[in-house]
This record gives sequence, C-alpha cells and structure tokens, in this order.
Amino acid sequence: MARNHGSDGSTSRRDFLKLGAVGAAGATVGAGWRPRKAEAKPEKITFLRESSYVKEFDEHFNKVLIPRYQQETGIKVVYEIVAAGGSAVPRTVSIVESKAPVDAAWVQQEWLYREGLLDVSDIAKDVGKQQGGWYSEIEGLSVWEGKWKSVPFGNIGQCMVYRKDWFDQVGATTFPDTWEEFLEVGIKLKKAGHPYGMSMGHGYADNNSWLLPLLWGFGAQVVAKDGKTVTLDSAETARAVDYVRKLYKDACLDDCIGWLDPHNNKAFLTSQISATNNAMSILISAKRDLPDMGKVIDHALNPKGPKGRFHSFVPVTHGIFAHTPDPAAAKHFLRWLMDPKQVAAWYRSAQMYHAPFLHAYDKDEEWNKEPRFKPYQKVLETGKLVSWPAAADRRFGEVVNKWIVIDMFAKACTGTPTKTVIAEAVTGLKQIFG
Amino acid sequence: MVGELTWSRRFFGLWLPLTVLFVFALFPFAWMAATSLKGNAELYDPTANPLWIRHPSLDHYIGLFKESNFVIWIGNTMLVATVSTIISLLLGVMLAYPLARMRFPAAGLLAITVAVTYLVPQTLLFVPMADLINRMKLGDTLSAVMLTYPTLLVPFCAWLLIGYFKTVPKELEEAALIDGASRWRAMTRVILPLCTPGFLSAGIFAFTLAQNEFLYALLFLNTSTIRTVPVGVTGELIRGDAFYWGQLMAAALLGSLPVVLIYSFFVKYYVAGLTAGSVKG
Amino acid sequence: MSRVAEATRPAARAVPSARAFRLREWLEREAVFSWLMLAPPLLFLLLFLGYPFCYGVYLSFVRRPVAQPATFIGLNNFLNLYNDAIFWQAVWNTFRFTAAATVLKLAGGLGMALVMHQNFRLKGMTRALLLLPFIVPTVLSTVAWQWIFDPGMGLFNRLLMFLDLVKQGPSWLGNPTLAMVSVILVNTWRGLPFFGITILAGLQTIPDELMESATIDGAGWWGRFRYVTLPLLMPVIFIVTTFSIIFTFFDFQLVYVLTGGGPANATHLMATYAYSVGMSSGQMGMGSAAALAMVPVLGVVLLAMSSYVRRR
Repeated sequence: MARNHGSDGSTSRRDFLKLGAVGAAGATVGAGWRPRKAEAKPEKITFLRESSYVKEFDEHFNKVLIPRYQQETGIKVVYEIVAAGGSAVPRTVSIVESKAPVDAAWVQQEWLYREGLLDVSDIAKDVGKQQGGWYSEIEGLSVWEGKWKSVPFGNIGQCMVYRKDWFDQVGATTFPDTWEEFLEVGIKLKKAGHPYGMSMGHGYADNNSWLLPLLWGFGAQVVAKDGKTVTLDSAETARAVDYVRKLYKDACLDDCIGWLDPHNNKAFLTSQISATNNAMSILISAKRDLPDMGKVIDHALNPKGPKGRFHSFVPVTHGIFAHTPDPAAAKHFLRWLMDPKQVAAWYRSAQMYHAPFLHAYDKDEEWNKEPRFKPYQKVLETGKLVSWPAAADRRFGEVVNKWIVIDMFAKACTGTPTKTVIAEAVTGLKQIFG
Repeated sequence: MVGELTWSRRFFGLWLPLTVLFVFALFPFAWMAATSLKGNAELYDPTANPLWIRHPSLDHYIGLFKESNFVIWIGNTMLVATVSTIISLLLGVMLAYPLARMRFPAAGLLAITVAVTYLVPQTLLFVPMADLINRMKLGDTLSAVMLTYPTLLVPFCAWLLIGYFKTVPKELEEAALIDGASRWRAMTRVILPLCTPGFLSAGIFAFTLAQNEFLYALLFLNTSTIRTVPVGVTGELIRGDAFYWGQLMAAALLGSLPVVLIYSFFVKYYVAGLTAGSVKG
Repeated sequence: MSRVAEATRPAARAVPSARAFRLREWLEREAVFSWLMLAPPLLFLLLFLGYPFCYGVYLSFVRRPVAQPATFIGLNNFLNLYNDAIFWQAVWNTFRFTAAATVLKLAGGLGMALVMHQNFRLKGMTRALLLLPFIVPTVLSTVAWQWIFDPGMGLFNRLLMFLDLVKQGPSWLGNPTLAMVSVILVNTWRGLPFFGITILAGLQTIPDELMESATIDGAGWWGRFRYVTLPLLMPVIFIVTTFSIIFTFFDFQLVYVLTGGGPANATHLMATYAYSVGMSSGQMGMGSAAALAMVPVLGVVLLAMSSYVRRR
C-alpha cells in the first residue's frame, strides 16, 4: 500500500515536470512546477470567473479542461462562476481582503487590488513569446511597476451593431464612416421609426465603449498621459458634448439615457432600435432565437472623428492571488491554461467572444466561420484602455465607477448646458486626481 | 363581525379593495408566468401581447431543472432560511421581551446602542464579516450564512416583537405574577402565546429576508451545489449582458410558490392570538 | 457523631432550599431576569456585529484602498464627501425615495390590513398570495420590472397605448423624474405586503370585546378606528415604519439592478453611492464614511422612536 502510494506520487511528479517543461516551451524547466515535498501538491485549485455570455465557454471549461487537468496532474480544479453585472468585484475584493481560499481568477478591475496579486511576468512573457506577442495596449493594464500582475486573456469587443435592412431603407448601404454621417443617418432612421439606442446609463461596458471613443475621436482626453493632469476641459470636449446632445435628441430612443448593459440587447432584439454599441452577444442571441433578424444584423467599427477612430477595451485578464498557499501550483495551472493546446480551443468554444490579445489568433480559422464577427478582431488595432492615454490605475477606476464622464454626457442630454456639465465633471475629476 | 353586512358594504369594503390589491401586487407575476411559458422568439416579438402566450411551452422549466442545480438551490435556501429564522426568533424574543416589558438599569441606552449598530449597512460590514468567516473556517459552507443572516435579522425581529409585546396589557402579566407564577412562566404561558401573530409576522419577515439575501450568499457560498436560489440563479442565468429571461422567471416563480404555500398554512394561526387571550385586562 | 449528624441534617436541608428560594427571588427581580434574557443575544451580536461594526467605524477615519495598508487621515473622508456634489445628490435622492416609499407603504399597508381583517373564504391563501411581491427574490423581480418599464414592450406603455392615452409611452427609466418614480413604485410594490401583514397581526391582537363595547357605546366605524384600533396599533405601526425607513434608506439591490443610480445620478442613493465608492472604486475608507454618514440621519429617527417607546 505504502509503496504504491510512493510510486503514484513520484509518477505524477515526473509528469508535472514534463508538463511544466512543455508548457514553458523554450523557458527553463525551472518555470515548471516543483513541489516542495513529494506529497505536497494541493488537492484543488479554485478558479473564479464571471459567467460567460457564451454558455459553451463555461461548459468547455467544465467538461474538457477540468477533467484534462485532473488527469494530467491529479489536481481538481474548482470553477466558481458568479453572475455578471457587478458580482465579481465585491467577491474578488473580499477574497483579497480576507485571504479566502481562492487561487486564481478573472481579475476584474485588477487595478483595485494589484498589491494582492502575484507577479506572473514569467508566464505572461512566455505566453506572449510563444503565441505571436501581446497587443501592446493591454500592457497598460496588466503590467504594473514593471511586473505583469495578470496574464491577459481577451477583449470582450465592443463595436457598432446595426440592422442592415433598416439602414439600407434610408439609403445607407455602408455603415457611416464618421460620427457626422452617423448622426445624419440616425436622423433619417428616427424619422422612419427606427431610432438608435446608445447606452448612457450607469452600466459598465456599453456606455463607455462608444462615449470614450467618441470623445477621443473629437480630440479630447480625460487625463493626460501622466495619469495626473486633468485635460477634460477643452473645446474638443465641448464639441463632443454638443454632438452627443444632438445625437440623443434627433437620432436616439429617449430611454437609452438610463440604460444598463442588458437594456440595449433587449431593445435591439425587440426591434425597437436600429443600432447600438455592444459586444457580439446580440447577433448570437438573434441567430439562436430570431433567425430572421439574425440575417439582417451586421457589425461595424465605431465611426471616426476628426482625430481618428477609436475603440475601448473591455479586457479579460487572469491573475493569481498573492495569498494562495501554493503559488507554484497556481502558476502551473495558469501556464497550462494559457498553453495553445488548451487556450486555443477555449477561445474558439466561445466563437472568439473574447478576442485574444495575442497576435497568433489574428487570423484564426474561427474568425472565418462568421465573417460578421471580424470587426471584433479589428477592434484590437484601435482599441484603448478606458484610461487612455494614461495607464489603467485605481484613480481611473474611480472615474469609471462614479460615471463621471458618462454623466457629463447624460446630463447634457437632459438639457444642462455644455459649460456646466464639463465644469461639474472637471470638479469630480479634480477630487480624484487631487 | 359587528354590524349588518349589506351587499354594497361587502362590495366596497372588501371585494373592490381586495381586487385592487390583487392587481397591484400580482400583475408582475402574470408577466413572469407568461414569460416563463413562452419561447424567446415570442418574448422578443414586438407585435405580441406581453401577457398572452401564443405557443406555450415548458422548455424554460425543463431547462432550469436539467441544466442547473435548481432543486439543490431550493433545498439549500429552505434549510438556510429555516435555521436562520429559528435562531433569529429565539434571540429576538430574548432581546425584545425585557426591552418591551421590563424596567431595568440602562434599558434606554441599550435600546439605542442595539438600534444604532444595525444602522450600519451591509456594504460596510461585509469585508470584516468575510474575514471573520474565513478565520472560523466556515467559508463555502451553509453554516456561514446561517450564522451571518441572524445578524441582519435579530434586531429587526426584536423590534417587531417589541411592538407586539407592547400591545398586550401589562395587567395580564401582573395578574399572573400575583397568582404566583414566576416571570418565566408568565412570559411563556401568558404573554408569548398572545403574541403568536407577532411571531408569525416576524418569522415571515426573517424567513423572507433570509431566502432573499444576496451579498453574503455571494461572498460565502462559492460551490454551485451549496448556493442559494438568488446567487445560484443569477450566476447561471445572467450571462454577460444577456439574460435567460424565461428561465429566470421560471426560477422566480418556482422559488416563491412553495413559500406562499407554507405561509398560507401559517397565517391561519393569526387567529390563535385571539383565542389564547382568555384573560382580559 | 450521629447526634451531630442529626443536628446538622435539617440545617443542611434548609440551606439549599433557602438558597433556592433566594435564587428564585433573585431571578424574579426585573433587572436580573432582563439581563439573563439579554445576555445570549447580546453576546451573539457582539461577536458577529461588534467587530465588523467597529472595523467599519475605524475605516472611515483612514485612507484605505483595497489590499493596501491604512493611513490615518482624521476627518478627511467626511470632508471629501462634504465637497462631493454627487454625494449631496444621493442624500437628497435618498430622502425623497425613503419618504415617498414609506408613506405609500404605510397608507397602502394599513388599508390592506383593514381589508384583510374581515371574514372571507380562502383567507389564508389570499393573505399568503398577497405576500408574493415580498417573497420573490429582489434580484429576480427587478429583472421582471425592467421589462414592465420597457418603453415599447412594457406593460405600462402597452396599456397607455392600448387605451389611446398616448402615441408613444413615456421613458420610465430614461427620464430622470420618472426613473425616481419608478424605483419608488417598485420599492412600494415589494414592501407594501409586509406592512399589510404586520399591521394585520397587530389588529388580531386587539381583543374583540373592546370593539364590541365601543360599538355599544355608540361609536361608528370611524370612531372605532380612530379611538380604539389606531391607538392600540400605534406601537406596531411605529415600529414597522421605523423599520421600513431603515430598509428603504439602505435599499441597494433594487436600484442597483434597475438603474444603477442613473440616469445622470437621478436615482443614486446613499447606499449605491457608498457601494460605488467603497467597493467598485476600492476606496474602503471613503466608502465606510459614506455608509456611516447615513447613521446620524437615521439615528434621529430612531431616537424619536425610542423616546416614544419609553414614554409608553
């Protein structure tokens, strides 16, 4: 009995070393997992994630990846999923603060607790080297004080989703290329009974993902590159605010000013709006539930402003909590997960809903299966972090979570003068950036 | 009841207001029921009547049972709610009875201290609470919420009970004491039975809040099979920015109807207070 | 020996009984009985609430970002709040929200209790069914309300359009004023049944004889209500109201799911504000200060209540 145990232990350990070496692919074997004692490997690793919009993505993890990891290492992975829409942050914060037994997670809003995350530079660098390199913009989030605090995964792309049939009816056979054209077409569409629905409420993704790119496209920025100087008060901002007020009044559904992230999906699928800014979830739902509508939906990149075309990221990154009892084991798991043998199929299981930040997937086969999803890959080229041009940090998180920029636009839409809304926003920003 | 009951009095005094109450309280449930019974295509159809079902189907219900741990969540929820309600009622009585019916030093101060403590919202408490639970090694167990829910419930149960305890005339207790009963006996045999409706309403309150609670359940219950309905259902059925409307509504209805049945059994005992009150002051 | 033993026996017998007597007497003292009863719940609360509460108070005086050590900054958190326009808007919103919802729930709940305090068939079932809004988890019912308020598909606007009152329904969650009306409506909808059932329980404890003697004395329906029912119900009404004020004041889930505090902060409450500062923005010190700022306001309400309770 005892001997059996011993031999079992050593076999699995040897497997581990082998695996580690394979996973590192070019890195030293030392990067692999080296248990401190023969029997010291943990029973389980807990991995926390927000439930994915694409159900198959979570199922793939549960049905393929968990059994595979257990078979290869003998370690059980516990996959904890929490609801989207705000559950992940309190959960993660309480994990960091109370050192709860969770090892790794999708570290949403990681700038809040980078001090509580392990340095995963070795994994991030190796994965990047191995799979075509990272899109550099994401380093502004994952790299902090010279260390990778998280391994980027993918971007939940946000771009324009529109009803091609209705756009055709008003003579817009291609999606408007500039914000001005977007407004012109919108006026016609609203007259035809098909307004836009551009979210401006207290959501997290669908509001920032068009208002910030619009602001940048008009040449304005919230803060300077140093991440300290507030630069919002500018003529460009005023122009952007005036534009949004007009767009809301003449081209949008009244309701959109109060929308959270799910509302525009609902409005789009119930044929109340002709365009919105969203992830690919609308088309996926439509193809499943409303086949006719599924045929007439298309995607386009955000229109460009006088200063160019922009998108904003909704990044997904994975990190390891510093308090994990066995850092080497957790790192081994993350490295294994990001290995092309695992991660490629995992990306694809969600139809590239998370557009990989790795260049190796730029031309992935999966993108050809539904050509209408391709804009979501292109988003990566012009995509910026919400804090752009600064790096993402705690203070900018506060800007986002207090909806300072969003409310500047929303208040303008309810009739407050441009000067006032900008002044109020600047006051709020100054309080944060001191 | 006193007074003659003419038809019009019955109509304006009972049936009309009752109908208004029913419509106000239950119309969202009509929508929930309709939504849970129709396919997404019909739900999204702008020409469809939101309360009418053209193609009824049980798919959402079947999906709920087949694809999620719904049955387990219901069981967990009932267990957690029952245990935390019992704890809260017991502790609530112990807190309320002296505060409502006794004179003792520092009573006023105590009432205020207890009250102020409860003013602090969960948003402030949950980080230290998570720390406490982890130190006690209760993370990811149902005991974690069974112990933390009473912290939310006890004060409110106590307050409610104070109100009911005060409606009972003091003479009743005094009469019992003069008859030679101990304070304990006077409490358990005379006062508490009179307040049965109060217990029921405090119990209903505690039970409902416990089965409704979201934040502590989210933080302390992590494995799918030990979750309660609100956390389990939203975790599985609110995915990104898209909701599984039909299944969510099916879960809302299936989760509440058993509770309604239990309550309909208990509220019958509201009359118990009347019959037990044989000693009149 | 035996005589000594004999002599001491009765004494030995007498001592415990005297002690028992004294113990009993001691137990019968109001203060002793009270504190013995109070001890277990207080110990429980001290353990599970005392520590978290003190920690929360401590947090409000420090700068304490998540995962970072704390630095003492005195009253700076409160000063920052004082200077934050959004905070004051949240305070004002919270007042309007709490006042409106509480009045509606109280009036409706009293009505509901009086209606249900009659004999009719299926009484138990009716009472339980009317509790449904209170029973169904808020996270789920609020999801349904999102549809009920939908501009084109929602029940309200469909009804308005069906009755030909409007061509296009109002924007329930988009218009800042209506958004506040909407969250008040949902809060009332959810809380009213509890008022109703609680006051009903109070009604049930009022002895029938009192009513009968009042009737014999010639009191009409209003007179009985005004001079018999209402005074006896006051403790229950008072407590359930205070109670509801606190719960409404702290209401978080409903607003969080329905509007997130939008549009443009029109429905931002102190609870959602404290959450967005303390949790989403990770400023635990500031968040605690924002949460604590709710206490003095409620404290006044509670003091009023407790002085009322003591007067009785």
